[in-house]
Amino acid sequence: MASTRFSVLSSSSLSSAELLSPTGSSGRFSLPSAPSITTAVGPSKPLVRPNIYDRPLNKTRSAEVSASAFAFLFSEIVQYTQKRVGGINDFERRLNTLGYRIGTRVLELMIWRTEGSSKAPKREIRFLPALMSIHNNVWKAVFGKTADGVEKSVENADEYMIIDNDPVVTRSISVPRELSQLSCSSFTAGLVEAVLDGLGFPARVTAHNTPNVDHPSRTTILIKLDKSVLDREELFK
Amino acid sequence: MSHHLFILSPSDTPLYSLTHLSSRPAAPAPSPLSANLPSWSTSAFAGTLTALSGASSMAQMSTQGGGVRMGGGQDRHVIQMIANASLDMIEDVVRRENGMYLKAVDKFNEWTISAFVTPGNTKFVLLHEGKNDDGIRAFFVEVWELYLKTMMNPFHTAHSTIRSSVFDTRVRASAKKYL
Repeated sequence: MASTRFSVLSSSSLSSAELLSPTGSSGRFSLPSAPSITTAVGPSKPLVRPNIYDRPLNKTRSAEVSASAFAFLFSEIVQYTQKRVGGINDFERRLNTLGYRIGTRVLELMIWRTEGSSKAPKREIRFLPALMSIHNNVWKAVFGKTADGVEKSVENADEYMIIDNDPVVTRSISVPRELSQLSCSSFTAGLVEAVLDGLGFPARVTAHNTPNVDHPSRTTILIKLDKSVLDREELFK
Repeated sequence: MSHHLFILSPSDTPLYSLTHLSSRPAAPAPSPLSANLPSWSTSAFAGTLTALSGASSMAQMSTQGGGVRMGGGQDRHVIQMIANASLDMIEDVVRRENGMYLKAVDKFNEWTISAFVTPGNTKFVLLHEGKNDDGIRAFFVEVWELYLKTMMNPFHTAHSTIRSSVFDTRVRASAKKYL
C-alpha cells in the first residue's frame, strides 16, 4: 500500500512540473520543487475557512496515514532538528519536546473516543493500568499495533520499560555511525511522557537502542518515574 | 440563578471563563449558613469591592443578565476566589477517584462547585446554586468535546487562553440547553 501511494505522489509532482514549466521565460529561474507546492494550494474558488468546531472528531477514527508520507515528514523533522542542535542530548531533547506536543493530544482524543459517549467517563488513576493502556491503546492509536513488551527494571523500582521490536517512526531511518548513540524514538518517548504527565504520573522518558539478533532496530522506551508517583502508589496499597 | 464556568489548564492557569444566567427558577437548596452570613455585595464595602474587581466586568455581567439583580456573593472576585479555593478539593478527589465528573466537590455559602477533569488534567470548574446533576454532566461532556477540538489546533498550547468566538458561542449554547 505504501509503495502505491508513493508512486501517486511522485507522478502528480511530475505532471505538475510539466504543466508549469513553459519552454520560455519563467521556468528557468524557478526552483524545481516550487511548482508542486503552488498547485496544491491554488484553488480559484473563494476561500471558505473551515471551522474546527464543525468537524466531527470521530471522522478520522479509523483513518490511516500513509507510511511513506509519515516517513517523509519525519525525515524532514529530523533534518530540521539536526540543523539546530549542538549534540546528541540536545537532539533527543528536541525530538522529545515535539513528541510531547503530540502526546497531550493523543491522550485526550483517545480517551474521548472511548469514554466520550459513556454516562460516567473515567480516567486512569493507577500507574500499572495506565502503563498497560499506553502499551496497548496508545500504541494501537498511534502506530496501529501494540508494543512488543513491558518490563519492570530489576535494579530500580522506579524504572519501567516499553519495548518495540520495530518502531514505525524509525523504520526508514539509518543513523550514521558518529551519531550511534542517537535514538530517533525520542519522539515516541516524548509522546509517552506527555501521556503519563497528563494522567498525573510525572516521569522522565528516554529512548534507547537495544538491538538483538532477531530485531536489529529494537528500541526500549525507558520510563523513570518521579518519586511522587511511587509515594502515591504506596497509598493505594 | 447563575452559573460560572472556569476552564483551567493542568498548571491551573485560567483559559476561559463564562458567566451564565439562566432564567430557570433556582431549585430550592437553602443553606442555613448563607442565611446567617452577611451578603457580600450589599455590605458597606460593595462599591469598593466592585471597583477593585474591575468595574467593566461587572457592567458586562449586569447587561448580560438583562435586569437580573446581582445578589449576595456574586461579585466577580468572590466567584473567582471560590473557584480557586475548590481546586485543592478537586486535586484531592482526582487522586482518589477515577471518574472525570466530580459532582459537588465543594460548597461555599450558597454555591456548590462541580468539576470535570479531562484525561489530560484540564479542569472545568462550575459554580452553581441548585441541584442539576444530569444537566451539568451533559454540559461538561459538551464542553469537553469543544475543548478537545480547540486543543487539536496546533497553534493552541496548554497555556493559551481560548479566545475563539465560536467556542464561546457554542459553550453559551450548551449552557442555555442544559443549565
